[in-house]
Amino acid sequence: MAQPNLRTRQLTKRFGTRIGVDALTFDAERGEVVGLLGPNGAGKTTTIRLLSTVLAATSGDFSVAGVPSSRPAEVRRRVGALPESAGYPRYQTGLEYLTYFARLFGHNRADAIRLASRLLAEFGLAERAARPISTYSRGMRQRLGIARALVNDPDVVFLDEPTLGLDPAGQLQILRVVRDIAARRRATVVLSTHMLAEVEAVCSKVLILDRGRVIKWSTVAEVTAAVGAPRSAVIRVPLDQIGTAVEAVGALPGRTVSAADERPDALRVTTTGSSDGMNAVLAELLRASVPILAFEVEGTRLTDAYLSLTGDAGAAADADIAKGAP
Amino acid sequence: MAVAGQECRDLWLSGRGPLLLFAFSLLLSAFTYLAATNQAINFLEQREAVNLTLQIAVAVGVLVTLLVSADGISGERERGTLEGLLLTPVSRRVLVLGKLAAALTVWFATFVVSVPYIWVLGRGVSVVGQALLLSLVIGTVLAVGLAALGLLVSGLSASNKVSIAVSFFILLALFAPTQLPGGLPKGWFGDVLGRLNPVGAGLHYPTAILVNGHDWTQDLNYLIAPGVLVVLAIVPLTLLSDRIVQLEPGSVR
Amino acid sequence: MRSRSWLASLAAVLALAPSAVWASPAAAGPGGDPLVITVEPARQSAVIGDRVTIRAQVTNRAATPTDPLIAHLNVASLTGTYVDLEDWTAGPTQQVAPIGAGASANLSWDIQAVNTGSFDVYVVLLPNGAGSAGAGPLVTGAPSHLTVAGRRTLNAGGSLPIVIAMPLLLGALALAVRLRRRRS
Repeated sequence: MAQPNLRTRQLTKRFGTRIGVDALTFDAERGEVVGLLGPNGAGKTTTIRLLSTVLAATSGDFSVAGVPSSRPAEVRRRVGALPESAGYPRYQTGLEYLTYFARLFGHNRADAIRLASRLLAEFGLAERAARPISTYSRGMRQRLGIARALVNDPDVVFLDEPTLGLDPAGQLQILRVVRDIAARRRATVVLSTHMLAEVEAVCSKVLILDRGRVIKWSTVAEVTAAVGAPRSAVIRVPLDQIGTAVEAVGALPGRTVSAADERPDALRVTTTGSSDGMNAVLAELLRASVPILAFEVEGTRLTDAYLSLTGDAGAAADADIAKGAP
Repeated sequence: MAVAGQECRDLWLSGRGPLLLFAFSLLLSAFTYLAATNQAINFLEQREAVNLTLQIAVAVGVLVTLLVSADGISGERERGTLEGLLLTPVSRRVLVLGKLAAALTVWFATFVVSVPYIWVLGRGVSVVGQALLLSLVIGTVLAVGLAALGLLVSGLSASNKVSIAVSFFILLALFAPTQLPGGLPKGWFGDVLGRLNPVGAGLHYPTAILVNGHDWTQDLNYLIAPGVLVVLAIVPLTLLSDRIVQLEPGSVR
Repeated sequence: MRSRSWLASLAAVLALAPSAVWASPAAAGPGGDPLVITVEPARQSAVIGDRVTIRAQVTNRAATPTDPLIAHLNVASLTGTYVDLEDWTAGPTQQVAPIGAGASANLSWDIQAVNTGSFDVYVVLLPNGAGSAGAGPLVTGAPSHLTVAGRRTLNAGGSLPIVIAMPLLLGALALAVRLRRRRS
């Protein structure tokens, strides 16, 4: 059987007496997008730094595309990373920046320029190639950072909070890029994020850390199914139809209806079981000729699962903000 | 090479380097004009003027070289650009040596700027060739030593401000004794102090040749301290680069 | 000042010195002092800043070898200019090994003319043997007469092109770099 593209075994990092990461063990294959979740201080960034050889492990080992961690320079040739707080030189242009990194990875000057130009075009930065990075928006810088992470055509790409500070359009763009990296380049992507919706959108597996330890490692579906989280949705209808809507939905078995947080024209429907439960709710409202003005699944299964596993209230707030909840 | 090349581009094409050279040329122009318009200046004083120009060139060049290198690692840390460099297959030793090379371009540039001034001051007293050679040799040795020291300080400092402050203090401590009126205290203690201070000893050597007319070999032992500085700074910088170039200062990778 | 007092001291010593000097008790040969110093060139001219070579030959006309000697070069101004010997040469003093009977020793000094005016450059021999050191008398010979002409080595007009051009050039360079950055 072929070796996994990314493999870690009992990877541990201690900072004095403090545990950064403890006995981290997981495998990831080519083309997989692994969501790396955890509260602040869980060890996500430490994990990424260990696997990209920026930090040396206290014990344990890992391999990238078969290259063991005992050969860090070679590992660095196989990985790309976008750090969370990546800075950029103010006076360099995007083209100069990527060319420089291409040269650091061994390309000659001409090849480096060609590669840099191609990456800039791929990430929609061709028109800004000759401009100083100081003139780039945050979204452009994140795209530039991801382009830099791909300069060496890596086998594994680590993205630490790539959508942080971006508007919704920018976030979607980054997520498209993440999918593309995994699908087209067949790289393993490790996506560290607080945005659980992102993980649900693009990740095939999720690794949840808490205080340096792995508390869950499996697929998204397995994580949410294991917790058995209920589903709920907020449905907005015309104010004069709210009574009809409550009556129609309340008649369905296995559903509870409640007011939706001080909104007189919306109701919250909670159902257990599969998403078919929500289909039945919508069908019932249509049968009752109640116009549906808005329908939003409230939170995600993953959010609920994550909260129940970690008790991280911060992530819950982020999830709410992401979907525009009051 | 790639590291040194990019560091040089950042230093010179950002505008900082050319601005420094412009300011330096203003200083030398003012000094040269004052010397040239002084009707009373005699032969010996003109040789001293050449020596002083040489010392100014070395002092300014070495100062800025030190400050550039003091920003080398701690500055990258604070700007968030260090981690990107650590993700490349380039060794940390190559990183620091590339930064060292780029910092040294500041010294060589100030030397080049000083050449026409030394020429115009020294041609009448036949010391141009000597002065230029002395300036190049002494300045280069001091620049290499202090740039390496600056990078060491930069790697180990908790912040960029601390790095620059410590480096500046080191430079002041080395230069101050050379500016004492009447020189160092006479006697064995002053003599030892003068020879131990790499900057003081290094600047003593051209003075002995240009002003006092000494032979090239007569004061060679004054070059020991600058040489020792180079060795004491370069060796730990290259051997301990893995420990010095860290995301967190003072941490072990 | 220093050169005048030195000259006066020397004159006083020579006036008191016996003619026979620190050879053995055996008398010098006929015809004068046992040690004779000949300095060359007898006369020369230079321009300020020039380096000149003073050569001296010390001949022992006595029947016995001399003690070890010290040869000291001195520069005396004839026009009242203050002379600091250290500015002219860093090594005015040379050790001379004992000179055999009838033999000669050749010495030379490279000096730089750092003052203008008229000077006598001469050599003084001092005894430096076990019994003769500090006992005198001194021996000297005819000086080398040196005339040093002045030269204006630095003038405002000559330096002006550099003084103006360098800041202009470097200022233009700094501005060009700044504009290039702004344009991009």
